[in-house]
Amino acid sequence: MSSGASGGGGGGGAASGGGNSNHQRGAAQRPNGQTQNKICQFKLVLLGESAVGKSSLVLRFVKGQFHEYQESTIGAAFLTQTICLDDTTVKFEIWDTAGQERYHSLAPMYYRGAQAAIVVYDITNQDTFGRAKTWVKELQRQASPTIVIALAGNKQDLANKRMVEYEEAQAYADENGLLFMETSAKTAMNVSEIFLAIARKLPKNDQSGGGGGGAGGSSQGRRLAEGDSGSRGPAGACCK
Amino acid sequence: MSVSLLKKPQMHFGAITFFAKQHKDDVCGSNGLPLTPNSIIIYGRAQILKTIVNPYLCRYLDIIRGKHERTIAVSQYCGKPLSSFIEKSVFSFTDIKRIAYQVLQGLKELHSRNIVHHNLSSENILYENGNIKLFNYGLYYMTDNGKLVSFPIVQLLYTAPEVYLEEFKEIIANPKVDIWSLGIILAELTLNKLLWSSLILGQRIRKVLSLVQSTTSVFERIAREHNCYDRYQAIPADLKEIIEVCLNIYSEDRPTAAELLEKGIFDEFQVQKTDWLSLLKMYEIFTISELYYWWQLTGGDVLQELKRQGLIRSSPPILSLPHLVLIEGTILGQDRNPATLYDPKIVEMPMETLYERFKNISFSCYYPLIQTKSEIIAQSEPEPYDATGLPLVIKEKDPEYQFHRVILLRRLLHGYPFTRDLIVKEAEKDIPPLFRGDIWSALLNVRGDYERQYAKIDKATPTPTDRQIEVDIPRCHQYNELLSSMEGHKKLKRILKAWVNQNTQYVYWQGLDSLTAPFLYLNFNDEAKAFSCLSKFVPKYLHNFFLKDNSAVIEEYLAKFSQLIAFHDPVLANHLYEINFYPQLFAIPWFLTLFSHVFPLHKILHLWDKVLLGNSSFSLHIGLSVLTQLRDRLLNSGFNECILLFSDLPEVDIEKCVILSAETFQKTPGSITHREYENEEFKKTGELDISGVTLQDLKKERCPRISVSDLLELIRNSPDKAIVVDIRNITQFNRCSVRDSINIPFSSVCFSENKIENVGHHSNVLKDNLDKIVVVVGDEETDLELFPTFLLNCNVKFVCVLHGGFNILLPISPTILASQNHIS
Ligand SMILES: Nc1nc2c(ncn2[C@@H]2O[C@H](COP(=O)(O)OP(=O)(O)OP(=O)(O)O)[C@@H](O)[C@H]2O)c(=O)[nH]1
Ligand SMILES: [Mg+2]
Repeated sequence: MSSGASGGGGGGGAASGGGNSNHQRGAAQRPNGQTQNKICQFKLVLLGESAVGKSSLVLRFVKGQFHEYQESTIGAAFLTQTICLDDTTVKFEIWDTAGQERYHSLAPMYYRGAQAAIVVYDITNQDTFGRAKTWVKELQRQASPTIVIALAGNKQDLANKRMVEYEEAQAYADENGLLFMETSAKTAMNVSEIFLAIARKLPKNDQSGGGGGGAGGSSQGRRLAEGDSGSRGPAGACCK
Repeated sequence: MSVSLLKKPQMHFGAITFFAKQHKDDVCGSNGLPLTPNSIIIYGRAQILKTIVNPYLCRYLDIIRGKHERTIAVSQYCGKPLSSFIEKSVFSFTDIKRIAYQVLQGLKELHSRNIVHHNLSSENILYENGNIKLFNYGLYYMTDNGKLVSFPIVQLLYTAPEVYLEEFKEIIANPKVDIWSLGIILAELTLNKLLWSSLILGQRIRKVLSLVQSTTSVFERIAREHNCYDRYQAIPADLKEIIEVCLNIYSEDRPTAAELLEKGIFDEFQVQKTDWLSLLKMYEIFTISELYYWWQLTGGDVLQELKRQGLIRSSPPILSLPHLVLIEGTILGQDRNPATLYDPKIVEMPMETLYERFKNISFSCYYPLIQTKSEIIAQSEPEPYDATGLPLVIKEKDPEYQFHRVILLRRLLHGYPFTRDLIVKEAEKDIPPLFRGDIWSALLNVRGDYERQYAKIDKATPTPTDRQIEVDIPRCHQYNELLSSMEGHKKLKRILKAWVNQNTQYVYWQGLDSLTAPFLYLNFNDEAKAFSCLSKFVPKYLHNFFLKDNSAVIEEYLAKFSQLIAFHDPVLANHLYEINFYPQLFAIPWFLTLFSHVFPLHKILHLWDKVLLGNSSFSLHIGLSVLTQLRDRLLNSGFNECILLFSDLPEVDIEKCVILSAETFQKTPGSITHREYENEEFKKTGELDISGVTLQDLKKERCPRISVSDLLELIRNSPDKAIVVDIRNITQFNRCSVRDSINIPFSSVCFSENKIENVGHHSNVLKDNLDKIVVVVGDEETDLELFPTFLLNCNVKFVCVLHGGFNILLPISPTILASQNHIS
């Protein structure tokens, strides 16, 4: 496989705050000498009931860590991670949202303009699966029509306490055209895999399907000019 | 010397230590997460012991967790073990009766709290000057009836026979076992004999068990076995009877401590209920727990002392390696670490350093004058230890300073609520950490029968919110030992449920757990007080933040935050505005939880020390101070970098935050942060104040409004601190305008470029403005957004707009108005 989470975005446990150092980069600077490298940015949002492990998945993906006592998320948190996929460098701008139903009204602010979403549930809790379905419906209705949605059945390490059958979730995912994997933020199982699968499915031609503007206004995916200092809101995709 | 005040015999303490049972490696709870270490459970359970104050019980002072599941219990330690007096014929029968009485008083207190000693022996009864104190009575309780340690909590000879016969699994703490132990102790004392002293361990247990079979009196049998029958016969009948009933082999037939105390034999010792002296005790100038606190500040270190006296020994790790580890991880042939057994040794803590350090503190410092009408007396007071200007962290660690603070604040707290004003005044200087919990509740005005109120609230009935509370608690400040303990979880859950139950207008929002955490941490042994603090805190500082639909309240708060940034730091505000970096994206947890979800506890404490002295706008200033600290990085970053910075908030210097936010708070007229959604109780609602600003308008305005009353105050009291910019046309301006105001007619300015020069010859005044408040005054005909925003874009500081415009000044304050025509 030519792909994997690269260290460039702070993967592998460096406490880099999620790779804020590599915002500007040109193809020529790629260390591996692949000069024809394409760079894509995608906005990805995590949704799902509280305590299913959204923040834990992101933390695992971005920093390679797992905190047992991961703090709950209020409002939302933002992180980035870069991965290499064949000849493309994919930079995810990840919005990790609060799971409590009450924070629901904030959610559109984060999924607006997102090209990808991971809807997470906890395989040991049937209710969280129900909630995941509601999120999927909402995304299908409200989010960008081209959004790539993945369903993650998290806490796979607790399979002996499973309440949601794999087949059931798989069937649901097939029906709705979702990517699906069971994951474990604790053991790292399928964590980078699910992000990779999303990256693969995302269109990597330029100007890919950003929906409306993001939380901060600047709308539509646009090309990121060389040396652009990134003065922009959490908006759509940028490829070059 | 005054240091003698510190040297009272009962003012000494010592420590014992033991290991909690270790979980097998790799064992996880049902949620797949590691189990709470037993030492943490012990730590949580032991806290309540610190609240027990009884003349016959050594006071618990501290519980410390060491490495490898070690627990250290520090408590008062004075006098000598009773065992050292036996066989020395020092006690008369009356003495023994008094001892029995006092032990029973101690036991009664414990049993009334459902604490069973289970460890009672003549070793851990300390005797001094005719009085006893029970020592180490909490071990069984804190270890959850011994379940959390791997050694048995028994005193071979003194333990009741039924304890040996019990099945380990079904242990329920039975207070009657303590009565048996007392019986044995009294037998020793009366017979003046150490019992079965020549027997070895196994034999001793057999001996105790053999007593079960005795058909005659157990006491008589003991006397005969020790060749003390003569002495036995000489024991006064009433005392003998007490011992006999204590040594009843059927635990259910043994009387309780309370029942025994009713017996006539103890009449002579009963203290009168209205004992003035003991009433006064509550108002002592300091107690042993304050002394322990000072001792620690003067360098006292329990762990160090235990090491020095050989109770903590470290052995080379190689000795603890197992002989064989199977591939699946099973460990074979690992020697049991002898340190995991119980070592009853008590280490006394040396006091010399403390005495030496405090020897020059004069007598009068122990009795500070707190209220006087006479200036002369007040001035003749010795200058209390001067620590002004020292950083807070230093002050908190300075023993002398904390001595004075503790003595003073303790007195003031005794006088609460009548002394509240004085407490506030002192709190403005700083808050001594030892009393933070009490001082906070005084600042929050917690009063009266808060305990009863709390007791009445339903905290048990399941509600739909429970799931959320349950998943949040194990994620709430879990690095803290108290909050991660089982007790901590239970308490936090009860408080949150009680709060939801009592505030039907509100709902549980994630974050409320973090908000409660500081109060629980400070009042861990007074759940009701923690609850009351929370209940007082929310209406004052977070009014309506927890409404089911709180969006308007939050939006207003965030809009105000943007305006406050613009007011103080236009450069930063403009940058953040340009990159679309809105407070919505990062500041919700800041304000919703008043930073309690953002910072670790020790920082929150210092922050809230100040919050509690201010009003509900103070946290806007804290927010500003956080941005100010990160200013350079923010200014040099784009959207992503900025937002990343806040997802993982870098080290923020809290003391700097506190100072900065106090500064901007002082500098900012109150109406600048006026909010429609503020609690009516604390809001200014006069005619001259701001009112009726819709959220829609507010969100459009990048510069804040100022009220007429604040403007008047500015002009009257510090005219040199204000620049009034009148943007009406010249005719209007000349006809009537604010004295000393400058006129920049709105229509004369070209807004297409952000160049301050465009305003004409007044531009220099604005450009060079460093600290004056720029009040833009217009009227209906002038646009009140374009101009101030223009000034903001030109990086002019402290721009605000007069709420209501010029005309509102006309009827109210002719004195500040003048006609330019006249003057010129
Ligand atoms: N066993 C196990 N526990 C997990 C896993 N992922 C997360 N957890 C735990 O589940 C709890 C909740 O995880 P979070 O990542 O905080 O959940 P969240 O979805 O972000 O929750 P909110 O922020 O409240 O929306 C934490 O205690 C995690 O340690 C997993 O894969 N396996
Ligand atoms: Mg989260």
